[in-house]
Amino acid sequence: MVLRGPSWTKVFFAPLRVPSRIKTFTTTMTNNTSDRRIWLLITATAIIAALFIPFSQFVLHVEYDYTLRTVALGGALLGIVSGVLGCFAVLRRQSLLGDALSHAALPGVAIAFLLAGRDLGLLLIGAGVTSWLGVWFIRLVTGTTRIKQDAAMGIVLAAWFAAGIALLVYIQARPDASQAGLDTFIFGQAAAIIERDVRLIAAVGAVSFIVLALFWKEFKLITFDPEFAGANGFRVNLLSMTLSTLIVVAIVLGLQLAGVILMVGMLIASGIAARQWTNQLGQMVILSAVFGAFAGGAGAIVSAVDADIPTGPLIVVVAFLLVALSLGFAPGRGLVWTLLRQRSDRRRFAAQTILQDLYHYALDHGRADLPAPEPFLLGVRGATAREGLRQLHARGHAQRSNGAWMLTPAGIEAAARDDRNHQLWALYRQYADDLDLPIIAEDRQQDIADALPPAAVAKLEYKLDTIRNAATQ
Amino acid sequence: MVQLEELIIHLLLNFIAREDLNAFLRNPQHTATIVGSLIAVSGALLGTFLLLRGMSLTSDAISHTVLLGIVVAFILMGSVFGRHPDLSSGWLIVGAAAAGVATVLLTELIYRSGLVKQDAALGLAFPLLFAIAVILVSRVVSDVHLDEDAVMVGEIGVAWANTNSHCLDGCESVTITPEDPRAETTRQCTNCRDLGISPRDDKAEFTQICTNCGHYSPAQAWQAGFTGQEPVLVFWPKSITVMAVLTLLTLLAIVLFYKELKLSTFDPTLAAALGFRPTLLHYGLMVLVSLVAVGAFDAVGSILVVAFFIIPPAAAYLLTDRLPRMLLYSSLIGAAGAYTGYDLARGNLLGIADLSDILAALNNLFGLGLSERWDSSISASMVLMTFLFFLVAWTFSPKYGLVSTMLRRRNQRRSFDHQVVLGHIHHHQDSPAAGEELAVSTLYRHFRWTPAKMQRTLRQLRAGNLVQIDAGLVTLTERGETRAHQFRQTQLTNESVGE
Repeated sequence: MVLRGPSWTKVFFAPLRVPSRIKTFTTTMTNNTSDRRIWLLITATAIIAALFIPFSQFVLHVEYDYTLRTVALGGALLGIVSGVLGCFAVLRRQSLLGDALSHAALPGVAIAFLLAGRDLGLLLIGAGVTSWLGVWFIRLVTGTTRIKQDAAMGIVLAAWFAAGIALLVYIQARPDASQAGLDTFIFGQAAAIIERDVRLIAAVGAVSFIVLALFWKEFKLITFDPEFAGANGFRVNLLSMTLSTLIVVAIVLGLQLAGVILMVGMLIASGIAARQWTNQLGQMVILSAVFGAFAGGAGAIVSAVDADIPTGPLIVVVAFLLVALSLGFAPGRGLVWTLLRQRSDRRRFAAQTILQDLYHYALDHGRADLPAPEPFLLGVRGATAREGLRQLHARGHAQRSNGAWMLTPAGIEAAARDDRNHQLWALYRQYADDLDLPIIAEDRQQDIADALPPAAVAKLEYKLDTIRNAATQ
Repeated sequence: MVQLEELIIHLLLNFIAREDLNAFLRNPQHTATIVGSLIAVSGALLGTFLLLRGMSLTSDAISHTVLLGIVVAFILMGSVFGRHPDLSSGWLIVGAAAAGVATVLLTELIYRSGLVKQDAALGLAFPLLFAIAVILVSRVVSDVHLDEDAVMVGEIGVAWANTNSHCLDGCESVTITPEDPRAETTRQCTNCRDLGISPRDDKAEFTQICTNCGHYSPAQAWQAGFTGQEPVLVFWPKSITVMAVLTLLTLLAIVLFYKELKLSTFDPTLAAALGFRPTLLHYGLMVLVSLVAVGAFDAVGSILVVAFFIIPPAAAYLLTDRLPRMLLYSSLIGAAGAYTGYDLARGNLLGIADLSDILAALNNLFGLGLSERWDSSISASMVLMTFLFFLVAWTFSPKYGLVSTMLRRRNQRRSFDHQVVLGHIHHHQDSPAAGEELAVSTLYRHFRWTPAKMQRTLRQLRAGNLVQIDAGLVTLTERGETRAHQFRQTQLTNESVGE
């Protein structure tokens, strides 16, 4: 993939660009099944979102008046912006940066108000400036001392917020009432969002997306392998400051809706949810935007059910529900899948173990279909035996008669096959070097014929037969 | 709690007259400073361990979710006993401590799933709990004076006003029953509201109720005029007791479990192997953090209390490498921040500058029209002073400070330059090419330095009597010769050790 853009960007950002020789590293492999899954998921979310509107209208009796439309649109847009940028915070292990920076915005709001009065744009610029100073301070402290990043974030969070509170209290002592409502930035006040704010969010969000798109590959590189990026001459510090600045932008936009305390939840929750479904940055970012939009919009709509419910907290709760669903059900990764996989592994292991037990017990006592007494099996293997016998019975590999278990012909065949497989693996471990076999990871659950080339298996089988013949003679 | 306060008061009265004690405690500055210092000390002590364990931000998370504990305890108390407790009730403290532990548990639960990293787990857990708390506050307890503002942004300046009165003499508490001759009664209609009729209606039924019945403490009884003699009272601010108890608890825990805490902080694996139960200690620490956070919230608010957990230990971390000293320094820095913070809130920065003057200067310069009276939040100012001390420690710390690091780097650079030049002279001074290699005017070329740098280095070397300039050529003095040999030897030793 080649970065395309007007030639002036190439000149202007020359030192930041990817040298052509390492382009192959940053090109992603595309995985078709994963792709399809993501698009299915995005479609499903979109359908649910579309169905959610009539549901809220007819079941929850939400009235779609002008205010609600504005707030819901604002929430959804914010969800997109913070979802996209939050992905990077999550992946760079800076989730709590959002917390520190949102607190650090408060003095900026106060100072901007003192200097220029009540203009939302200027207040947000002030917030951005102090947040950004916070980023800079964190870098400075961690760069020059042995204080770790989390403590540095804590210092910024507390000190900047204290400055903000001190200034707010000072401002509130003013005789006129012009300062009323400044402290809504602490807890957020969604109802105050007007159409102009929504346009502002959309415009600033679009600009930050353009920057993100321009430096996509560079951001990806410093997110996953900053040392590699540094070694290849990227200006990692500058790039990561740029990325942090974008995160500051997202936080500042969200302050009015979510407030300084809950902003961190808005920033990272949808990114964490999206992370569960995919291993690719591009898909994660898109998915996170969709989740963020859903949480922002749905949270705003549900909070309109009752005038008492605050919007910001509800958005965070909806986002957390998405996280919980993703942690539970994301295919291949989620907790439910892990549990299912563990159960089937346990069953297979139990069946295999008991099959071998029965087989060897019978062979040791003379013939392969000799019944083994059930108390003996249970006594030796316990719960594994119970599970294994159930599995074998279900497969028709073993049958019960007079309190004892014996293998069926199919069972004997399977046991002999397993046994031979195990012996070949044992030989592989012992003689892999001597027989000059390819080196692979040992996995006795696997059929060795699937793991090794036929010639190698033939060598092992010959070896096995030689050893057996030697033993019988 | 009340008995404890009485004990302390009786102790104090041995040294100080009652009127003086009351006057002392009624001064907002004294109470605010005492409470602030206690919060700062207990926070700094616990924060030291948090910092060293790399979990500073856990205190942030806990201090936020304290709100959930308070709200849930508030609602439960209301539904079980039918009466809402006030904000300093012990049950609320228990609820808040439970919420703190729940935050840590939820974080670990999310983290243990293996799907989410540690910082992200924390960033998920506490906004969720906080969001639930805010929703509960606005849904369930909408009509009482419990809101998130009250919990998140406290004010230490009013700590002096919230007191327990302790009676020393003339203590006569009064209970008025309806039979008492002092009882005032009035008629109240029992069915007027239900039937929607006026009390003058014939069907109205009446009952006698007592308007001033109940139990009167000595102070209340005197105010209501039931007792003839004025009781002798001491008004003791509640926050002082709460924070003193919490500070003592913290100190006690750290003294008792010092060895265990130290070991499990620096080498958790060894601590576990030796049977010290690091997990138990971990949760014990979290309980203490939650207790201090909740004890401090109505004084400084639950966001600013984070500052006392993080900033003083961070400053102390730059000043020392030893745990006992770090504990001591961070407590001192915290207490100093609390002490000087009160003055800052009134505009006085350490007696150096007056913020009112600065505001006036700003007004003069830019014509901003700012109010020139700086009167601000005391707790926030305490945090700002602590932060100032952090900046001082960061700049001037003898070992890790910016200045000393800069000096050390400069000295290293200089000593390296000296070494290189001495080596060069030593190498060439008796060789045939000496005339070319050692000429003062062209010496800089051999190092690819600027002439200015070469001049500077030569000046330093000459001042140290290491080189001399003879007819435009640089040669080593006897001292310089020895120094060059020393360098060479050290280098050889280092090389052989390196191999």
